[in-house]
Parts: sequence; structure tokens; C-alpha cells
Amino acid sequence: MTRRAATSRRKFLQTGLAAGAAAAAPGRLTAQSAPPAAKTIRAVMHGDLTVLDPIWTTANMSAYHGAMLYDTLFGIDANLDTKPQMVAKWGASDDKKTWTFELRDGLKFSDGSALTSEDVIASLRRWAARDGAGQHMMQRVSDIAKKDDKTFQFILKEPYGYLVDALGKTSTPLCYIMRKKEAETNPMEKITAYVGSGPFTFNENETRQGVRYVYDRNPNYVPRSEPASGLAGGKVAKVDRIIFENMADSQTALAALQAGEIDFYETPPIDLIGQLEGDSNLTLEVLNKTGNIGWLRMNFLHPPFNNVDARRAMLYLLDQEDFMKATFGNPKYYRKCASNFGCAVPMENDANTGWFKEAPNPAKAKEFLQKSGYKGEPILLMQATNIDFMRNAADLVAGALRSIGANVQVASSDWGGVVNRRAVKAPPDQGGWNLFITWADGNAVSNPIALAGHAATGEKAWFGWPSDAKNEELRDKWALAASLAEKQQIARELQENAWNFVPHVWLGQWVAPTARRKNLTGLLAVPGVVPFWNAQKA
Amino acid sequence: MLAFIIRRLLSTLLVMGLVGVFIFLLLHLSPGDPAAIIAGDNATPTQIEAIRTSLGLNDPLHLQFGRWAVRVLSGDLGISIFSNVPVATLIAQRVWPTLSLAFTTIVLAVLLAVAAGVLAAWKAGSFLDRLVMILSVVGFSVPVFVVGYLLIYVFAITLRWLPVQGYTPLAEGLWPWARHLILPSLALGLAYVALIARITRTAMLDVLAEDYMRTARAKGVATGPMLFKHALKSAGVPIVTVVGIGIALLIGGVVITETVFNLPGIGRLVVDAISKRDYPIIQGVILLFSGVYVIINLLVDLSYTLLDPRIRY
Amino acid sequence: MTVAAAEITNMPRRSGLWHFVRRNPTLVGGSIVLILVALAALAAPLIAGDPIAAKPANRLRPPSHLNWLGTDQLGRDVWARTVYGARISLVVGLAVATIAMAIGLLVGLLAGFSRTVESVVMRLMDGLMAIPAILLAIAFVSLSKASVSIVVAAIALPEIPRVVRLVRSVVLSVREQPFVEAAVASGTRLPKILSRHILPATVPPLIVQATYVAASAILIEAALSFLGAGTPPEIPTWGNMIASSRVYLGLAPWTIFGPGLALALIVLAVNLVGDGLRDRLDPRIARRM
Repeated sequence: MTRRAATSRRKFLQTGLAAGAAAAAPGRLTAQSAPPAAKTIRAVMHGDLTVLDPIWTTANMSAYHGAMLYDTLFGIDANLDTKPQMVAKWGASDDKKTWTFELRDGLKFSDGSALTSEDVIASLRRWAARDGAGQHMMQRVSDIAKKDDKTFQFILKEPYGYLVDALGKTSTPLCYIMRKKEAETNPMEKITAYVGSGPFTFNENETRQGVRYVYDRNPNYVPRSEPASGLAGGKVAKVDRIIFENMADSQTALAALQAGEIDFYETPPIDLIGQLEGDSNLTLEVLNKTGNIGWLRMNFLHPPFNNVDARRAMLYLLDQEDFMKATFGNPKYYRKCASNFGCAVPMENDANTGWFKEAPNPAKAKEFLQKSGYKGEPILLMQATNIDFMRNAADLVAGALRSIGANVQVASSDWGGVVNRRAVKAPPDQGGWNLFITWADGNAVSNPIALAGHAATGEKAWFGWPSDAKNEELRDKWALAASLAEKQQIARELQENAWNFVPHVWLGQWVAPTARRKNLTGLLAVPGVVPFWNAQKA
Repeated sequence: MLAFIIRRLLSTLLVMGLVGVFIFLLLHLSPGDPAAIIAGDNATPTQIEAIRTSLGLNDPLHLQFGRWAVRVLSGDLGISIFSNVPVATLIAQRVWPTLSLAFTTIVLAVLLAVAAGVLAAWKAGSFLDRLVMILSVVGFSVPVFVVGYLLIYVFAITLRWLPVQGYTPLAEGLWPWARHLILPSLALGLAYVALIARITRTAMLDVLAEDYMRTARAKGVATGPMLFKHALKSAGVPIVTVVGIGIALLIGGVVITETVFNLPGIGRLVVDAISKRDYPIIQGVILLFSGVYVIINLLVDLSYTLLDPRIRY
Repeated sequence: MTVAAAEITNMPRRSGLWHFVRRNPTLVGGSIVLILVALAALAAPLIAGDPIAAKPANRLRPPSHLNWLGTDQLGRDVWARTVYGARISLVVGLAVATIAMAIGLLVGLLAGFSRTVESVVMRLMDGLMAIPAILLAIAFVSLSKASVSIVVAAIALPEIPRVVRLVRSVVLSVREQPFVEAAVASGTRLPKILSRHILPATVPPLIVQATYVAASAILIEAALSFLGAGTPPEIPTWGNMIASSRVYLGLAPWTIFGPGLALALIVLAVNLVGDGLRDRLDPRIARRM
């Protein structure tokens, strides 16, 4: 090689190395000391936390995040009874139109500032702007007024029995209390600061979007004195740090749990529970006893499901056992359910459930479908391919419909695609749809007001846009009912009417056992949220 | 040479501009957008429409593109629609696992593959040669995630030699960093070992057949130096070419490996962004990847000047 | 003709075929496997049951005389799905290769002949090549709806630039050949130059490239299914079978074994055919053999 070539080669290498070194210098050192492993819980939950504003979205992960950071006025305990949390005492006037609430002592935000009724009122207004139950309530509220720093009042136009329960409900969005500053953010936009009133603080420095979310114990939080039960009682943080790890792959998460790399896995695939049952280091526990209900939504705006007979056909066509078995395998974790309000809940009843005893009855289903005037037009069924239950359920629905001669077109996409398309009200062949599948929280379903999907207000309703005046009448009645017995009676009437006009079809109810290392104890059983106070590692 | 580099860099900018246009059109001409996903489950169509307008998605396309292009040219990759974190920050947070994985995979693949290829070429026609070639074809016939799961099953779950998943930054120690990358690199690298080994073998065969190699052998030059110093260097050009192509393909393979082994890298960032229709992230990351690809091509071309003195720009 | 040559041409045909097989083991081996798989795919209704009928009550049954490869999580017959899956995988591979080759050939020819077209087109191809193929494919599929044709288009698109480059370089090198210059000088019209000189030169490398593209397309389809951006799950493809059953790797390995083995086998076969063809068609290597 000539000397000239050799020199230029050396120069090339030198400049290359220098450039590489400059580019490679990370320039960041995490000098922050992490708490010891025994005081840190690493948990893999059912999904990624994409929105950090738990009021703005109904996503459950955001609700879990909210529960870490924020406190609520009321919370349900392990028996699903509403108990006071931030409220010390409350009462109603004789005419039941003025409700007075007094906050308990010592409530502070994580930055040390005092929590007053002004913060509460602002939070309530923002929550009500986004939440279905909140909106239903606010129609009957003439004002929410501050009496003093610790006391506020609801002034109603008419008695509203559901008030306290609404404030403590676990269907999303929960009524989390934030600083007035954040609560005054436009309800159509998301908050950008995360100062909370709850047992943990959000460690933004250590958090990595899409990878992990870090929560530290809030030293400024004053828990109640009662023992913790559900979302009620004292929220005592017994560890220093909680990390939500985002693991998209269930195999990986499961293997990580078995290897001790994580402590808690919220949704292990039920088929694989067997291999966990044999592992002496792991415990399985169902924390959400009301589980979830598979939900088939039909589009009331376009044929064939704008006709009640076509909808009735679906009631007789589908076998809930198939849907449950396909995804959840083990009968220990699922059941069929005919009640419009879910099963294993106070509102469960058996009104108008004759169809359930007969289903599946393909012949009858075919009859109903023909009666509706269906002539073989394509039925557009949306399928979310990246969520096991939804993917399997769509295959089964398509198969069942085809077996009675219906023409089914399956439109597959990821869940994002389904979310986009279900909002389209145009006819199916112009970008709309006829059927889609999702699920709902069992406890939320048991509440005719809290679950947006129970509203039958036509074009203003949830996707599917069911329409029935009697349904709405009865829902209003339910909200105003005072006693449990009265509520249950109205629920019967609601259901009697519902299975006549068929707003939707249930695909079965299941519970999902969580899996955790044996040394992690103290997890609280409650629907809608997985709380991490009270949890500790031995 | 300098003129060549400048010309190539200019053409790089043009290419990246084209990439920007491609991706922008792909995203914005496709049905669906982040508005409905952002709005959440209980949103009404009016709310969804309001979000769409606030995100600027209802403006004419050229306006939206212009806005984005101007921001990118001034160094601003935008802000993630979902998390409100600047795209550049997200990328900076997650680039190290991807780089680490790419680095270890390339090192592993090149070492194994060149050794195998040289060996096969040297023993051309023998059983060893055939074996190496068959194994290499098998190597790029099996999907990465299948290899990944098998490796996890054998080495992480059954034998407990290596961790199942996760990533430890280099700052926390060389061995913890390395041990988390062994299985992913193997899974990802298998296909590249195969590819590089084959090209190495072919290129070596070409060179070994040349007259000057026969002369060297006749002169009594020992096998080792002959193979590695003389032959390999001459065979360098096609080998480096394919390594360059491999690096480009690596960018794609990284996406799956990061999902299987839960590495918090850019591959997963962009796949998640696609499912959420988080346009700024998708656009920013793809632009970044294409920039890397073009620069690597340039480096590969420049490296030819080192390997083959006949090549001059 | 010399005596020896005459003797060679009079050789009995049987040993000619045997000679062919011995000299091209990879090409022959790969082709045999491919043909067998293609026949199985065609004969699917005869040799396999119903791939779509779901009976959850029968889920995850191990291989038995009723279900040769067992059943999957919805109770569907894995053997039937594997055999029908061959159809889609073969079609995807073939379609992607054909589309990429056809479009690439057209564009490459244009680029080889027209300076203006070349500068515009090559820049576009550079841009397209710079985008990681799998990300482009995922974005394409996720943003439209999932269907076999969308997946084929999504996989074919990133393959086109490489074909264009290949064709263009062949065109450029052939154009310089003296006999082509002579043909041009003597006034031969362009279509004839194309068909007589240029196209035949592009065919061998294109065929070889086509096989690699086909093999890689089948793998990419599997990867897309794994990431949730693949063909609709109703239609069995090996890729989406492996992807949707991956949870059962330890529990019910037969759900992955069938499609996994088939996938590896066919990709292997296609690659071997590509290798064999390249060994025969590449003049440098053929000379050495």
C-alpha cells in the first residue's frame, strides 16, 4: 500500500473514532438512589398507560394510575358498599335536596399544599363534564357550593338517591380529586401536571412512556384509621416504590414472573394458569370478583340490526359457553349470564330470560332473522386482531351467523382500527359497521346509570346507538330510587324491557385471576382498580 | 473524495425529504386517525370531531405537511399526541437499548458468520462446507420470534442460565448489560449469520481461485495469514456490502426482537405508536431510521476505499 | 462435430437426468419440496377437513387419529389449517414476487433507458428503500384494513426498489455491449432491442431475486401476524397460526409445530431453489462447476 494511502487510512480511522466517541457519550448518570428491592413492587398490568389524565379518559389503566395519585370522596369496600374516604361526615336535609359534606382533617396534596373544598368542587365539575353518571347527576344539580374550607354542599333541584354512590363508583372515570389548578383544565384537554391527593406520587423522572411508570410513597398523605377494604378504609402505603412495567408479550411477562423478575402479573393467560399452579413461589388470586362481561354491540342505525327480530335472533343464536371456553378454557373462571346487569351482583335478576334457557337454538334464530326481512345483505363484523378475546369471539360470531345462512364480512384490524370505525354512523358499506365486540367491567355493568352502554338515547347513546324511551324512563327512576329493594325492583323492570328490545348481547362473564410471588401480600380485592396501598413484600 | 462526501450528504437530505413525504402521505391518506382513540370509550362523535380539529387533522394536507416539515427542519420532531412528551425526548430515552441490541447482534453475527464462511470456503466441496451452507439456509428460514421463544424456553426457563427479558443499561455494569442481550442477539442474529456466511463463502471462493492466491500458496504462505490477511481483505467489498445491507435489515428485525424480549427500544416505540396512530412519533422515528440507513450506506461506500485501493471517489 | 461431442449427445437420457440431479442437488431438492407442498395445497379439500369450523369444546386436543395435528384454542383442526395455510402462504409468496418483479422490471427498464426518468425514479427508490420494510408494511396494513391483498401490497412495496436497481444495472451493462450498440446504430427499433437483448439478460437475475423475495415475503407475513398487522385471523396462514397460538408453546406445542415446520420447510425449499438457480444461471459460478 502506498504511503499516501496509508496516511489517509489512518486519518480516516482517527476522525471516525473521534466522531464515534462524541456521538456515544451518553452524558447522563442516574445518581438517584432507588429503594431496596424488598420495598419495591414491580407489576405488569393488563395494558400500557397511555393517558395520564384519569378524568379525561375511560381507560382502566388510567384509573389505576389515578388510584395511586389521587384520593376520592367515597370509595367502595370489599362488599361493594359505598363508604366515606375523604369525607368525615355528610348528611342530607329533610327534603333531600341539600347535601352537606365535611372533609376529614389533615388532607394535603403531595406538594404539601392544603386540600380545600375549592379543589373538591373544581374536581367535581370537571369529572361531571366527562362522566356519564356525572352528567346524569348534574342535570338535577342547581349548584355545588363552598361553605368553608372543609365543607361543601350539593344543592339539588330534586332528590337524587344515587348521589353518594356516584361519587364513589369504580366505573371509569372515577371521581378523583385534584388541585383546583389542574381541575380547571378544559375537560376536552388533558392535564399536564400530576400533583395528587393520594397515597403515592408520580415519579416523572424515572418514568419512561411505553416502558415503565414509577410511583413513590407520598409522605404527606394522611390515611384513615380504619383497616383498608377495597377502595375504602386507610390507604397505608407499605412499600416505597411501585413500578408498572409495560410488557406487551404475555409469554415474556409470565416467564419474568416465574423467574422473579417481576412480582405481580395482573392478567396471565388463563390457559397458562396450570403451569403457575404448580409453582410453589406463586399465588393465584381473583381480585375482581365481578370480573368482565363479553359484549356484542349491534348497530341500531342500519339493517339488519335496526330491526328487533334480527337482534332477537342473536339472543337465540349464540352460545356463551363457546365464547368463554375458546378464550378462557377453564370453567372455574367463567360462567354464562343472562342478566342484563351481570351476575354475582345485587342487580342480578332473571326477568324475561326465557331465551337463555333455549340458547343456542339456531333454528329459532334463523326464523327470527328471516322474520326481520333479512335478504342476505353483508353483515359487517369488526374484529380486533390483537386482543385474544375479541379475536376469538369475532371468529365464533361469524361462524354462528354463517351457519344460519347469513352473509358475514369480517373487517379485521387492530383495536385502534375498531375504535376508529365504531364511531362512524354511516352505513356499513360506506365505512360503518353492523357488529363489534368488546367487554365491560362486571361491576360497572351492574349499574344502569354508571355504564354509558346502558343508555338507549338513540344517536346520543354509546356506539350502537340503541333507542328506547321506556328504558330511559326506567333508568331515571332507578337513579332516584332510595332503597336497595326499590332499585332491584326497577332493575327487574329494566331487564324485562331490555330483553324485549335487545340493546346488546352478552357473551359470558369471566374473572381473571392475578398471579403474584408468594412474598407479595396485602392486595385488596375490588373491581375496577388494582390498589397497591396495603401491599407489602415479606 | 470530499466532493463525493458532500454530494452524498446532499443526496441524503433529498432522500430524507422524500421519506418524509412518503410517510406523511401514508399516514394522512389512510382512513382513521388518533382522534377516536384519544377521545376514549365514552366520547360522542362531536367530541371526536373537536379533538380532530384541535389536532389540526381537518386542515388541508399541504398545510399540515408544511407545518410539520418546517418544524422538522428547525430540529423539532414534534410532540407525541398521547403522552405530550416531545418525540425527540422519547427517542433519546429509548435509543440505547436498540443501539445495544444492534451492536451486539452485528458483532456476534459478523464474528460467527465470517468464521463460518471462511471455513466453508477453505474446505469447499467438503461435508463441512455443505453443512455450513444448509445450516445457514435453515437459519434464515425460521421466523425470529419462533427462535426467540425457543431460546427463552431452553435457556431462560428450563436452564435458568440467562434472564427472560428486560434491559439493563451499560451504566449498571458490563455483564448485566451483556447477559440481557445474549438471547436477543442470538435470535435476531441467526438470519444475518446465515446471510453473511454465504456471501463470505462465495466471495472467498472467488478470491481463493485467483492467480495471486495460488502464487501465495505456492510460495508457502501459512494458511492463517493467507486466509485472513490476503483473501479476506480482497473479499472485503462484497462482505462489507452485505453487512451494510444487514444493518439496514436489522432495523426492521429489531422491532420483533424488542417485543419478544421486552427491550424498551425504538422498535417497540414505533410499533406502539402505529397502533395508536400517534403520528408525530411514527413520522419522527421513520425519518430517523431512514437517516441512519442512508448514513450507513455512505459509510459502507467510504469503507470500500479502505478495503480496495482501486476504488476511489 | 467431434467424435467425443457426438458420443455425448448420443448418451441415453436416463443418465442425463441423473447427472442433472447430481450436479444440482439444491435446485432439485428444493423444487421437489415446493411441488409437493403446492400439490398438497391444491388438493386441500381432499386431504384435509374444515379449517374454519370452530368447536371450542374440542379445544387444544393433542394429535390423534381424529385430528392428525391436534386442535387449536378454538377447537379447529390444525392439520386442515396447515394445509389450507399453504395456499395463502404460497399465494402471498408468489404474488409478492410477481408484483415486485413486474413493477420493478417496468420501472427499471424505464430508468435504464431514460436519463430523466432515471434521476427521478432512482431518488424515489432510494427514499423508499430507506424506510425499514417492516415498519412500512405494518403502517400500511394497520392504517388500512387487514386483507390478503393489502398484506401482499404492503410486503411487495419495499421490495420494488431493489428490483429496480437490479434491472437498471443489467440494462446499463447490456446497453454498453458492442452488439447492442451495433443494433442501435443499424436502426433496430427499441422494442426489438428490448426483447432480443435486454430482457433475456434481465431474466436470470430476476428469477433468482424472485425466489428470495418470495421466501422473505412468507417470513414477513408471519412477522406481520405476530405484530398484529397481518392477514385476517379467520383465513389460516402459517404466520397468523403461529402468532395466535404462541401462548401455547409449552402447553400445546402442536398448534405451533404444524405451521412452524411447514413455514420453515417452504422457506427453506424456496431458498434452495433460488440458490440452485443462481448457481446455474450465474455465468461465473456455472463456469466453475
